[in-house]
Amino acid sequence: MSSKLALTLRTNWLPALILIALIVFPHLVGWLTDSSPFGMQRGARVVMTGRSVYWQSVAIEVFIFCILAMSYNLVFGFSGVVTFGHALFFGAGGYSVAILLERTDLHDGQALLIGILLGLGLCALFALIMGFASLRLRGVYFAIFTLALAEMAFIYTNGWAFVDGETGFSISTLPDWINPTVSRLNYYYVSLALFAFSFLAIRRLIYSPTGAVLLAIRENEDRAQSIGYATFSYKLFAILVSALMAGSAGILLALLNKTVSPALLGVGYTLEPLLMTIIGGIGTFSGPIIGAVGLHLLNSQLRDSVITIGSTEIAMADLWGIILGGIFIVVVLIFPQGIVGTWARWRARRSRPQAADQPGVTAAQESQIA
Amino acid sequence: MNLQTLLKNNASVSAMIVIITALLAIALIDAGGDLGSFGITLLSGLFQAMLLFLVASGLSIIFGLMDVLNLAQGAFFMIGAYIAYDLQHAEPGGLFDLTTVVPDPNLRFVVALMGAVAVGGALGVALERGLLRPLYARPVFQLVMTFGVSLVLTEIIKFIWDTTPYSWTETFGVRQGTFTLFDQSFSTYRLFIVGMGFALIAAIALLLRRTRIGIIIRAGVEDSEMVEALGINVRAVFTLVFTLGCAVAALGGGVAAPFLGASIQLGNLYLLQAIAVVVLGGMGSYEGTAAAAILVGLARSVAEATMIGTSFAFVPSITPILLLILVLLVRPSGLFGSAR
Repeated sequence: MSSKLALTLRTNWLPALILIALIVFPHLVGWLTDSSPFGMQRGARVVMTGRSVYWQSVAIEVFIFCILAMSYNLVFGFSGVVTFGHALFFGAGGYSVAILLERTDLHDGQALLIGILLGLGLCALFALIMGFASLRLRGVYFAIFTLALAEMAFIYTNGWAFVDGETGFSISTLPDWINPTVSRLNYYYVSLALFAFSFLAIRRLIYSPTGAVLLAIRENEDRAQSIGYATFSYKLFAILVSALMAGSAGILLALLNKTVSPALLGVGYTLEPLLMTIIGGIGTFSGPIIGAVGLHLLNSQLRDSVITIGSTEIAMADLWGIILGGIFIVVVLIFPQGIVGTWARWRARRSRPQAADQPGVTAAQESQIA
Repeated sequence: MNLQTLLKNNASVSAMIVIITALLAIALIDAGGDLGSFGITLLSGLFQAMLLFLVASGLSIIFGLMDVLNLAQGAFFMIGAYIAYDLQHAEPGGLFDLTTVVPDPNLRFVVALMGAVAVGGALGVALERGLLRPLYARPVFQLVMTFGVSLVLTEIIKFIWDTTPYSWTETFGVRQGTFTLFDQSFSTYRLFIVGMGFALIAAIALLLRRTRIGIIIRAGVEDSEMVEALGINVRAVFTLVFTLGCAVAALGGGVAAPFLGASIQLGNLYLLQAIAVVVLGGMGSYEGTAAAAILVGLARSVAEATMIGTSFAFVPSITPILLLILVLLVRPSGLFGSAR
């Protein structure tokens, strides 16, 4: 039993270390910058200001994008299903919770619970629709279908008077324990828990026999089918899991910002996880996380900075889209395997002379070495 | 053309005729026999159809020959609109001020359209040569790449022209004119766009059917390897077709600008509708695209005439996308497409 634990620790020391670091992170920042992770006491109220609280917010946003990117990677990277409709799940989750909290007379706690259930239920429904469409449509056609589905929800929400159309509305009441303006730290740990759970769930899924079939579908769906797997139900399952994760990420963002607007359903929340996945490495576990962390930190730090060239001042916020697009194009053209994939290939190339007797080295490579 | 495809296409043609007749009948009943408001619905439908066709035709020929779904097509439409607006108007900053060089507004509009086509074409060449060429073997990345390019183009537009939408203020001959039919006054400019659209349908059809380039393009759609084996540089034809598609989209934006103005939303708005048209008509079928554009335009304007002011007021704006989803689910090969 203890040797099993030791093995688990030996193979998972890095994720475990990162998890511990993330748990102490708010307190560490608070200690380093001499600010309280619980916010500042101002009279009878606690106000959420200070460096530690600021960095908690940044980290929460990073967790949200990590969950979103990982869920996208599950369908795009591991199952080979190209969808452009991920924002639909994200927005459906956020809007359901916001509507239940703000537009019904239920108690906060009840409203939150029913909202989460409704949001996840909606995501599951949309996932089923997309899944059944994938039965008929493949490749480009499926991508268009999902884009159209999400865009239709976006256009409809823009004109939906019940949710104040394109301006959206804000959430005013929340149970205290999850309210980010009452305790940012609680919210930080809730997001962290969900992030860690998503990571473990996806890894467990991909290493399971089901995951092996998903990878087979990605490589060659016809062959997987002819071997005898009902590829449809596997794909449906992957889309479903991915939808539920994206939906919970949407719920987290809506509660963090305490506001919802049609932008939640906009094409941006499809594009960003796609980009994060590609930058980090398609079909890898750490790729989407690296992409999400890198991209979001870059964004949140650049947002407020201003570059002065000569006498003209350029606000970096205006340039963000161009930078994002530039990264997009460079990565697609030059590093299609992303950071993780390129790194793995580089390491494999370096260690090739020693690895000549290992399985997995092709005959061509062996002859090169010889 | 063998008997079977003829029969199948005839079925599609008769389906088209039935649907369009039904739409017109609904419009006529809704107008209560008032020919004036029926005329408005009809003209507005054709007008929207032609706007859609201007974006969709490029998409259709590019997909037909190259199997590339150019998701940046909407951005090219938008760029055309901005360039035309900028060249025509003196005010808000912008890049060029042609008001002193070409004082006549009618002539300036022609110059503005030429400018839009030139910029669209130049960007098209750059995109195909520089970015798309390395990706022909990787279809998923083509989608991702054109998606990214559309993002970059939108951001560049924001950077140059800011995010505030412009509405067209300059007046000139065709835009101002109205004519009266059945006691109802119509804008000449709508008629101008409808005429322009039909002219473009005819021009591209002639190019594809009656010229040597057209023969090569059509042969390339059938079997590009065989065409290459015959000693024809298919890559150059690819570049040509891609450029043509982008230039036509920019032209569409320029022509639409006096009506729609220039705004950031234009790209995404027209991209999906154009994709709807291309899929409805059958991927790669040029005639199908033209027919589907008319169908979608009419459907939308009939929906506008019957549902605005009711609780279904949201239906018109999602009609094309709704049609797209239905067609994809029922018949992914579209009305005139062959099953792939």
